[in-house]
Amino acid sequence: MHRAITALLLLVAPLPAVAQRVLRGTVRDTHGVPIQAAIVGVPNTTLFTQTDPQGHYRLTPLPAGDVRVRVAAIGYLPTAASVSVPAADSAIADFTLEPSPLELPPLDVVSTKVARFGDRPATSVVQIPARDIDQRAVNTVDEAVDKAAGIQMLNGQINIRGSTGYVQGLNSRVLLLVDGVPMNQGDRGGINWDVLPVDQIERVDILKGAGSSLYGSAALGGVVNLTTRDVPDGLHVRVRLTGGAYGNPPHEVWRFRDGTGLEGGGDVSGSYGTATFGGRFAAGARHSDGYREQDDGDHWQIATRARWQAAPRTRVDMSGAWAVDHYDVPLAWCRQGECDDRGQSFQPFKIPTASLGAWTDSRKGYVAAQARTVVSERFAWQARASWFRTNFFDQRPPTGSEFGVANRFGAELRAEAHPDSTRTVLVGGEVTYSDVTSDIFENHSQSEFAAYGESDQAVGVVRFNVGARIDFLAVDGGSLSAVVSPRLGGTMPTDHSGGVLRASIGRGFRAPTIAERFVHTFAEGLEVIPNPNLRPETAWSTELGYTTAPLFRMLRLDAALFWTEARELIEPRLILIEQSPNDSIPNLVPKIQLQNVTRARIAGLDAAILAAPIPDRLIATLSYTYLSTRRQVAGDTSAAGPLAFRPRHLVTLSGDYSLGAFGVGADFRYASRVERIELEGFVDSRRVPVRVLDLRAGWKHGPVELRLLAANVLNYMYNLVPQTLAPVRTVTVTAVWSH
Amino acid sequence: MLRIAVRIAGVTLAAAAITIACDGGLEPERICPPSLVGLCGTLRFRGTIPDSTDNVFIAAYVTFPQTCNDLINNRKPPIPGSVTYTDSAAAYSVALDPATYRWVLAVWKKVGNLTLTPQDTALLRVAGYYRDPADTTQPGIVTIPAGGTVGNIDFRVEFDSLRPATDFVTCTAQ
Repeated sequence: MHRAITALLLLVAPLPAVAQRVLRGTVRDTHGVPIQAAIVGVPNTTLFTQTDPQGHYRLTPLPAGDVRVRVAAIGYLPTAASVSVPAADSAIADFTLEPSPLELPPLDVVSTKVARFGDRPATSVVQIPARDIDQRAVNTVDEAVDKAAGIQMLNGQINIRGSTGYVQGLNSRVLLLVDGVPMNQGDRGGINWDVLPVDQIERVDILKGAGSSLYGSAALGGVVNLTTRDVPDGLHVRVRLTGGAYGNPPHEVWRFRDGTGLEGGGDVSGSYGTATFGGRFAAGARHSDGYREQDDGDHWQIATRARWQAAPRTRVDMSGAWAVDHYDVPLAWCRQGECDDRGQSFQPFKIPTASLGAWTDSRKGYVAAQARTVVSERFAWQARASWFRTNFFDQRPPTGSEFGVANRFGAELRAEAHPDSTRTVLVGGEVTYSDVTSDIFENHSQSEFAAYGESDQAVGVVRFNVGARIDFLAVDGGSLSAVVSPRLGGTMPTDHSGGVLRASIGRGFRAPTIAERFVHTFAEGLEVIPNPNLRPETAWSTELGYTTAPLFRMLRLDAALFWTEARELIEPRLILIEQSPNDSIPNLVPKIQLQNVTRARIAGLDAAILAAPIPDRLIATLSYTYLSTRRQVAGDTSAAGPLAFRPRHLVTLSGDYSLGAFGVGADFRYASRVERIELEGFVDSRRVPVRVLDLRAGWKHGPVELRLLAANVLNYMYNLVPQTLAPVRTVTVTAVWSH
Repeated sequence: MLRIAVRIAGVTLAAAAITIACDGGLEPERICPPSLVGLCGTLRFRGTIPDSTDNVFIAAYVTFPQTCNDLINNRKPPIPGSVTYTDSAAAYSVALDPATYRWVLAVWKKVGNLTLTPQDTALLRVAGYYRDPADTTQPGIVTIPAGGTVGNIDFRVEFDSLRPATDFVTCTAQ
């Protein structure tokens, strides 16, 4: 007992006189060009940082003596060096990294909440760095995420390995984090991808699999973490202007306007930072004529971030954003007779006459603050608090309007310890409170209290991590119900060149959203009635994966087999309600209600090849996801079959060729025609495979960067969800000036 | 050598992607093409499509059939093509000779070969028929003028209530 207490005191007690010891320097490539977002740190400790746009870094607090520092960045060979830090002084160490396009992301945060530097995660993680986001010249985060392997966006809903499908914005089985702060809506549980300007995002990390053992509800199918750009030292200004045009319908009979639809926008951000303080403010706006009838949209946003080195060991980060969208809503395409159909059985660019005048005003914003104190290289604690607010108003002729205002408050306290170089322990607690005021969801609140812990232990070459989280849920202050989410994972290197075997099993869950419990509205002419007794959805997810070492110095393969068994999935059901129970003649009225009725199995293969056949010039990726899904509905044997909106085959092919300041690239996506859709019998079931080719080109010289993007360049006509045409050919020019 | 092979594979993949992307997609779909002599409309499907489904076709009769022989021998068109059958609704059209038709129906066909004999009824079920708008308990009458098309012949197909021929005709001769 005494030994344990002594060990704990040694962990949490700050080492004397280390506050001033700082390691600083620059990380560059072999041509002397600064590398941004390179990670500099001491593995298996609390000490790490990343470089700013000039390649500068500042690592503190360091223990005196020799320190083994590791430096790594995506696309570069990692390096390590012993740095001697004087007892009461700072040290300078500059690093040069050699290009190595097959290197994997050096830092994993999303799979364990603790920054794992140089270790591969036990569950598949995809990282989209700022370089990829910039190259693709996209305007929203979901456009960038859509290109990642094994991931498909369905009208703003993210589908990781077939987790979510499409549920028309009523929930998400994927949790969105912004700098580690949960950001799913308080009422519907969905994701607002436009809450942050894409220009402010440093990277996107996507955990493919259940993450509830650390993140709780909604992390049933995966977790997406957006890391915003840090505030560098000095004065920085960035201006981004975009302008583009939509392709016209490929067939004259589908023409719906005389001119060409345009889009455009601009973002400006300015930041100033010193070693102690830093702040950034960004503002932007964009307008789109849309590519369909009644598809205009306007977007305004502001975003801010500040950092404060409150003490040598304590850093405080604050961030916030507010976005306003006002857009027309093309609810569904026009079918025969619903508009001037010109003798066509459907008009994908037009909407039913009855839907004319539908629009939405959506406002959302958040503020968040986080404090992290590095007590020693072995111990750190972190606290955060956040408030996320959404406010929507839907005008839906001829039925009327709907509104909802939701708040989501969150707080978390956690501590990480590295008792020795082989072990990491994380413990924490989290509280979330959501409330809603709405005419269709009524006025309700939902509370979640959670505690979690995870331990990561190396045994020889094998690294295990085991953890669990318990969540207590309460609706409207009622009794608590508990959900336990354990997880076990492990990695094992298979060679000295980077080959790693990984395996994990974990339980995920998703609490019913307030919207799902209490929604009362009309859909497809039927009354949707509430179901306050909904229970959480749960799922066991398991994965076995392998990443090879570089093969022939130009290929790297990654493959994972995954298997998910989900229970009590919430789906809309058509039920018959006795309308007048006292009448002698039964009067059964059909209504829609969300119920815990579905069991599902999702299994498949996720494989990717990363290739660099022309070193320093050409890099290409080919990824393939095979999905096999099966659902069973309680009390309805006829409903067995595949899950809705899950394509069996998903292929992504990307390539980028660079020559000096110029670069060209392409993305091709194929998704097979989905076998089943929801609301069968009520909607137009017309659907085709997805076959979309994007082309891009870029030029960068000094502070100026020009990007040309031709999305869906062949103007392929397809839909991802019923009666909703997916984006047509869009040519966009983006100019960025950074100082 | 290997590097060249990888490059060739990459170029081949890219070319294949472009070729695939050039093909297919949503296309305009006329409900009733001007050249059609026959009838067209929308079928609204209800129920679960049986696993043993081969196809669904439209058949029309100038006079209401009385026997299984009538059912097979008087069917127009004699060798039907499948219409699109889905889990919701689909427009359809079928070429027919100008005439007045007293029964227009959708026929569900089980997997198997038709012989154009009354034995075919073992493979066929009545899935739904066009109804008289004035009295929906009765079949609707459709007249196709010479060289013309009749549209809006809409009716429901009930996969969960497929009815055998004997519900409508006498098949004692089988």
